[in-house]
Amino acid sequence: MAGIQQLGDVRSGKLAGNITAFGRALRRAGVRTDAMRIALAAEAATLVGVESRLDLSAAMEAVMISREQDRMVFRELFDAWFRDPELANKLLAQMLPSAEGKAEPSKRRPRVREALTAPRDPARPAAVAKPDKEVEFDAAMTSSDRQRLQHADFNALGASEYRLVERLARDVTLPIPSLPSRRLRAANDAGSQHARMHWPGVLHEAARTGGEILRLPKLSRREQPLPLLVLVDVSGSMERYARLLLAFLHASTRRAGRRDVFAFGTRLTDLTPAFRLADTDAMLAAAGLAIDDFAGGTRLGSSLAELRHANARRLTGRRTLVLVISDGLDTGEPALLENELLWLKRHSRRLLWLNPLLRFEGYAPLARGASVLHRHADAMLAVHNLSALEQLASSLAALMRSGR
Amino acid sequence: MTFPTIDSLSEGLMQAGYFADRRLATAVFLALRLQRPLLLEGEPGVGKTELAKALSTALNRELLRLQCYDGLEQREALYEWNYAAQLLHMRAAEAAGAVRDIEAEVYQPHYLIRRPLLQALQTPAPGAVLLIDEVDRADEPFEAFLLEYLGEYQVSIPELGTVRAVVPPVTILTSNRTRELNDAVKRRCLYHWLDYPERERELAIVRAQVPEAGEKLSAQVAAFVARLRDAPFVNAFQRAPGIAESVEWARALIALDTVELDPEVVVDTAGILFKQRDDVAALTHELASDLLKPEEPVAP
Repeated sequence: MAGIQQLGDVRSGKLAGNITAFGRALRRAGVRTDAMRIALAAEAATLVGVESRLDLSAAMEAVMISREQDRMVFRELFDAWFRDPELANKLLAQMLPSAEGKAEPSKRRPRVREALTAPRDPARPAAVAKPDKEVEFDAAMTSSDRQRLQHADFNALGASEYRLVERLARDVTLPIPSLPSRRLRAANDAGSQHARMHWPGVLHEAARTGGEILRLPKLSRREQPLPLLVLVDVSGSMERYARLLLAFLHASTRRAGRRDVFAFGTRLTDLTPAFRLADTDAMLAAAGLAIDDFAGGTRLGSSLAELRHANARRLTGRRTLVLVISDGLDTGEPALLENELLWLKRHSRRLLWLNPLLRFEGYAPLARGASVLHRHADAMLAVHNLSALEQLASSLAALMRSGR
Repeated sequence: MTFPTIDSLSEGLMQAGYFADRRLATAVFLALRLQRPLLLEGEPGVGKTELAKALSTALNRELLRLQCYDGLEQREALYEWNYAAQLLHMRAAEAAGAVRDIEAEVYQPHYLIRRPLLQALQTPAPGAVLLIDEVDRADEPFEAFLLEYLGEYQVSIPELGTVRAVVPPVTILTSNRTRELNDAVKRRCLYHWLDYPERERELAIVRAQVPEAGEKLSAQVAAFVARLRDAPFVNAFQRAPGIAESVEWARALIALDTVELDPEVVVDTAGILFKQRDDVAALTHELASDLLKPEEPVAP
């Protein structure tokens, strides 16, 4: 019955207050929760009762979240919020500045940790727990003094970074271009290029008007997004970008159709299974496990050769849109790179080179690898800050419109 | 049939042949009490559709199923006028010279062809269980159409007016998450992510579904599949086998007169566990014998 004491009595209204505060904490951790859900959560809590923590947690989970990727964050936060004595200690420690410094290694996600340590009471002066600083994407991309962002380990994202990536992905969705597929659907615009007669529709219309045919329904080809192949450089010179770019790509191409992702440094790593995970943190953790040559050198040529040998079938019928994210500082053999790039270009619809070094004014692709990439890529685009990412989306669309 | 507690609901589902874990039972319980649709997401083969079937049995309500697909339209989901019958009626009326009020005569409920969503609204007490299967396959306009339905349990038919639910149907939506659903739809639903079952639950399912498998083989099947799904093997396969596959596998093993698993028979029957050629190939003899080794006791 310990649960009851901590949660408070339903009748006294303490539970509702607790749930509201919990909802706010969820929101801080990047889980979308609105007032309606919080109200529903209170109702759910009265329905299942507070005797069993598991039931209560399950009930609130069913009401308050709606994405698989939020589930683990929810559970960790729930545990911390409603029972974990560790939390009580932590809150106590916050009130007593002298008790600081006992950094205990926490197994929680940084997102949950940040949500818990953010100020609970807005009236309290900011000295106790300092509010989240808004992290600019630019800051991550220049040599920032924020150590957290310089750690290009594939760890989880912090709550503010997570929100940033979510926001970026929402604002800067990469519209994966689409092409007409082989399948047909009823055309709204009967004059469209591939339109053909829709006979069942004609009969249907005729039946409606007593045998008179007033309109000719047509079929046209439906649009299908191009498959996407992303190659991300994880060599030492790229480590500042790789993690946030991966997170961004993961979030912004969520609605894309087929998506194959590889990391390359000294060798090629398939990140596609990691990208199938819904949660960006889980993706980064899995990617971190998979990549064992992080921050090493770059051998783009041999990585592409590996791609051709093992995964050539992933490039389907010259439809694939290939994004190579690299600074082009290659330590491999230029001749090999040239050959492989030619092959890759032949087998893809567009080959785009996203180069973070474009942030320097007057940058020219003079390094050996960079000059080869420059010669063979269909375009070189910048990815070092927010406006560059926004441009990326529009350049992508423009590129697809232009003929090859 | 009503279930006053989560326990009684679990019990009822179990009698219908469905083993729900506590979290799922809680979510279903809430969906029933709050009269909200329940959105189930999860990998293929974890028992999302089965839950709706079991609920219909347990609640003793009719199951209405709408299978979604790309291009699904309102007239296939909700209702359509029976144009042919209406035409015939008009011709007959013309021939008899009685063309007055022809429009009112033609737009009568009995010229309506009811599709699952409308049927679910009009099912008399105790109401229906409505399964909107693989809603992620339908396109976004259809999702938008669902909003009014899921929020109010009502639809408007221009010629007849608004149809309100007699008894709100118990609504289950399932999604394999081939795409992210619209937030507005999600806000109207309770949510549950259906995971692969724990070993105990899987064993119970195999036992119930394939009783002829015997204790030893059932346990082996459950254990093998559970280990197959666990890291670090998980990345070797593109798609882990679901409950449906374990049950099917157990049946196949019985058909092959298997009493006990060995690497040979596992490799031979890998095609039942996996639906992809690469995955079948990835389950090698070594990996199979590795997975079949007795486990070390797990530290508490």
